Amino acid sequence: MSRHDAISPRDAVFRQDAAARAAVAAREDLRDDLRATASIAGLPIHAMLVPVPIVCFVGALLTDITYWRTAEMMWSDFSAWLITVGVVIGWLAALAGIIDFASSRGLRALASGWPHVIGGVVVLVLASFNMLVHTHDAWTSVVPWGLGLSVATVIVLIFSGWMGWAMVYRHGAAVVKP
Amino acid sequence: MRRGQLLAAAAATCVLAAGAWAAESFDTSRQIGPNPELPEPQQYLFPPMHLASVVGWKSGEVPTVASGLAVKPLATGLQHPRSLYVLPNGDVLVVESKSPGTEGIKRPKDFVMGMIEKMVTGGGGNSAPSNRITLLRDADGDGVAEVQTVFLDHLSSPFGVALVGSDLYVANTDSIMRYHYTPGETTITDPGTPLVALPGGPIDHHWTKSLVASPDGRLLYVGVGSNSNITENGMEAEKNRAAIWEVDRESGRWRLFATGLRNPNGLSWQPESGALWAVINERDELGPNLVPDYMTSVKDGGFYGWPYSYYGQHLDPRVQPQRPDLVAKATVPDYALSSHVAPLGLAFYTADALPAKYHGGAFVGEHGSWDRGTFNGYKVVYVPFSAGMPSGKAEDVVTGFLNADGEARGRPVGLAVDHTGALLVADDVGNTVWRVTAAP
Repeated sequence: MSRHDAISPRDAVFRQDAAARAAVAAREDLRDDLRATASIAGLPIHAMLVPVPIVCFVGALLTDITYWRTAEMMWSDFSAWLITVGVVIGWLAALAGIIDFASSRGLRALASGWPHVIGGVVVLVLASFNMLVHTHDAWTSVVPWGLGLSVATVIVLIFSGWMGWAMVYRHGAAVVKP
Repeated sequence: MRRGQLLAAAAATCVLAAGAWAAESFDTSRQIGPNPELPEPQQYLFPPMHLASVVGWKSGEVPTVASGLAVKPLATGLQHPRSLYVLPNGDVLVVESKSPGTEGIKRPKDFVMGMIEKMVTGGGGNSAPSNRITLLRDADGDGVAEVQTVFLDHLSSPFGVALVGSDLYVANTDSIMRYHYTPGETTITDPGTPLVALPGGPIDHHWTKSLVASPDGRLLYVGVGSNSNITENGMEAEKNRAAIWEVDRESGRWRLFATGLRNPNGLSWQPESGALWAVINERDELGPNLVPDYMTSVKDGGFYGWPYSYYGQHLDPRVQPQRPDLVAKATVPDYALSSHVAPLGLAFYTADALPAKYHGGAFVGEHGSWDRGTFNGYKVVYVPFSAGMPSGKAEDVVTGFLNADGEARGRPVGLAVDHTGALLVADDVGNTVWRVTAAP
């Protein structure tokens, strides 16, 4: 063993540092790869839009239930507006989200990633059908299919939303380190 | 498993295709007469629709008439003529009328429906003066009106007209007005006196108020259409609507003569029985072959189903809460005209100038369908009568309102028989009054 092959304690420390730095750098890469591509001034468009369909679809479930109990047309009209606005803004939010997801290896690598995406699309497909059912006149705009779809939409929405919150609040998806 | 899924999908596709095929190939004549075939109600995610865009009549073009008949325009260049009334001296009143446009947007769907309405009524760009009555006079008897004057102007979406003695009644969408009429005059100067307010806005979905005076001149009968397709504007909006009112001509006091008539028009007296008849536009969006529009004698106190049921006890699934007490007494109408033909004009023929086969029956003006895949209506038909009731199949009298490309050259609305016994047809998107005579 030549003298040159021997690792001095100083070298060992240096090499450990390098490995640690590489690991940190790798984590930083992954972190960078969680960034949202569809963004304005670094802020994710998906996160800006997605509260609208969430509130609309939950609201429509409440107005549908109220119409079912009262047969008062005003509530069915409220549902129709909420679902239509939710569907329009929802598909825009989905577009932004899908751009982010397709552009990011890191987002796709998250365990909650695919469930969130698929859940979101299911929510929007259900709500789009529900929007058409709500164009029916009077009672059958809501009972039974409209109300049923509103319930299904909100159930899948809770699942999909949960996956989305896990992506952001556990893994920092689309969050830029200060 | 995979094969099973494929088979299921194929079966579902076949069922859907078969349903569509059954609806399209449905023989509409099975819904003409006293016992129409009524398929199961169907509701769609995208309801079938087919709209005729308006192209108007080119110079020299006329509708097609049945053999033994001839047709010529009595007057052209009118503004959305909807109904006709013949004065005792032979002058013809043409009611030119537009929707009051007070139906707001309550749902996202109303945006779409508003656009459709604009398309079928001849585009929104037409702001020419309407809501007036034009007088036509053909003094030389050549079948062309040489006098065309504004008889009454600045009306509120008028439709029905009735003359009793020297009192001329005009049914605006929101009131009946009385004017003093002197035989021979071509312009009314009387500002008019309101007789009774009618249900107009808000909304005013079915806005045409058909009008007829009783033979003794004591009473007026007014058609008041529903304020919705099927109560989607709420029950409160339907107060005193979907009904025929009976109004005392002296006092204006009124009562509901008959109810459950979704959109009654063409109020007329059947000459043999003396019964009041009307044509009724039935409900939409239960499928291309539901619910058949109809003509019927109207009984005092009769209830004809709307909104709760149709053709007697067939419940409409869209109406809640239901009213079994009313449904139980719902009268089945006399004669179905088939689905979505939109009858708006009715005239019993008591003259003898047309060929003998047209004596004693009724002409019906069918404005034409929009909510089915294939067009229905867009023509004037004749229903033979005997002993005061329809006695045979409706047959085509005036057709050709649609061209070969399915565009509307015109659409028939109100009918009248002039003092020579010719049949007059108001054509609202063709802006013409057609005069049908026996072929020379």
